[in-house]
Amino acid sequence: MASATGIAAARRRRRTAVALLVGPAVVLVSGALLIPTINLLVQSFLVPSGYGQVSYHFTIANYTSALTDPTYLKLALYSFGLGALAAIACLVLGYPVAYFISFRLTRGRNIALFLVVVSLFTSYLVRLYAWYTILGEHGVINDALIRLGVISTPLMFLLFSRWAVLTAFVNIFLPYTILMLTSSMQNIRKDLLENARDLGASPLRTFSRIVLPLSMTGAIGALVYTFILTSGDYITPALLGGTQSTAIANVVSDQFLALGNRPEGAAISFMMLAVFFVVYLGLTRLERFKGF
Amino acid sequence: MLIYTILVFVFLFAPIAIVILFSFNKTASLTFPFHGFSLRWYRAVFSSPTYQSAILASLRVGVITVLVVMLVGTLAALGLSRYQIRGNAALRSSILIPAALPGLFIGTALLTLFVQVHIPLSLWTVTAGHLVYILPYFFLVASSRLQRFDFLMEESAHDLGAGPWATFRRVTLPLIAPSLIAGALVAFSLSWDEVFITNFTIGAQNTLPLVIYSTVKQSVDPSVNAVSTLLLAGSLIFIVAIRRFLVDVQS
Repeated sequence: MASATGIAAARRRRRTAVALLVGPAVVLVSGALLIPTINLLVQSFLVPSGYGQVSYHFTIANYTSALTDPTYLKLALYSFGLGALAAIACLVLGYPVAYFISFRLTRGRNIALFLVVVSLFTSYLVRLYAWYTILGEHGVINDALIRLGVISTPLMFLLFSRWAVLTAFVNIFLPYTILMLTSSMQNIRKDLLENARDLGASPLRTFSRIVLPLSMTGAIGALVYTFILTSGDYITPALLGGTQSTAIANVVSDQFLALGNRPEGAAISFMMLAVFFVVYLGLTRLERFKGF
Repeated sequence: MLIYTILVFVFLFAPIAIVILFSFNKTASLTFPFHGFSLRWYRAVFSSPTYQSAILASLRVGVITVLVVMLVGTLAALGLSRYQIRGNAALRSSILIPAALPGLFIGTALLTLFVQVHIPLSLWTVTAGHLVYILPYFFLVASSRLQRFDFLMEESAHDLGAGPWATFRRVTLPLIAPSLIAGALVAFSLSWDEVFITNFTIGAQNTLPLVIYSTVKQSVDPSVNAVSTLLLAGSLIFIVAIRRFLVDVQS
């Protein structure tokens, strides 16, 4: 009996300690994310009455227009498509680099990883500005091509196009992808790859049967992360996309900053979150993938 | 494969190199050839009141964010690594969730609440956004060390007569300090560069990234390159400084 109450008391003490230690973090996340999110959810069911005002009547009209407005649907399709393309491009471009760093480099390995971390922490905004000065009408590429006599008038499709946005996305999210892949490749033993080679497996087969399945967690993490953060990005399209490549995220940010129809913006952003959640669930189920 | 890897690194770093190079250009041109070395654009930045106050604002937000996140995040990491209770996983993911959300979402949610309860937008509302977005990153870096921490050492200290505070200060803190410093530096870099949430929570006083963002939308000249280089330096100095904590940062 005495020991039973002792254990119960110890458990209570443990719980109190956790509550005291984790409490401030919970308060912070509740105050700055949970409560604002619930509030936004409520807003998304209210009637907008113009110029940033709402009237407190329940409606689902914001959601029906978010789901049926052809402009929104077109922009959403474009954004999610571009996000998916960016995520896949990062994975395809990143795998060889991660493989090389993990299995071919020995002395240079830490330096290579360090460079990846450095580029990871290289300002998002500055990299967007960099592409702006490279791809712009009077940018580095156009200027060089004109000087070389290849073209006589600047190529306008370089900047303010979906390709400019995609280039910047790949540039920014490739380091994340490489890092996530190398960290999941840490668990692959090198002799496994050597055995496969000795037993006559082609490099492609070794990759698809061993490396790919064993680094699946990293690959999926990178895909989800890149997809969510690129298709939710409103700054890159605003700087590099031009009027032809507005993203659904720009519609949301405009509803909050310019037009002032917050309920509509809130409804669209909850629909975006729903897409993110579905993609996350779908991709994490792939984790059990065992290779081709 | 070596050549391919080198090409990828060139792709990652060339744009930045070009920005830095032209920040030292003698003329207002942003294209090759490079006309000669000069610091005139840096002088332009440092003599501009807009940039001056933006740098100070970013420093202020960054320092407050780091201090609060360090305190809150260290406590949470300690609590969740030392004790195993039911609900541990749920608490952990509720702290980590803001890192997986686009800044757009956090920013609009905060803005809506601030407008509704009549909190005027200022550097404080900016800081609120930074806190919730950066906490998960600090928490991850701090926990990565604590997960390999042997809590029996604390018990030994206790058995040898040390109180809880002495145990923490003499045993736990020295062992986890490197990862806390690494986490603090990561936190500052993230705050120094944040624009997605800040764009919604900003009041009359702009931070440095916001000034760059609104300038680029209008017109560009090498002073933007100079201030971008300062922004880069602000985050990269710290990352280079934590090179020896690289293992922690990676995980």
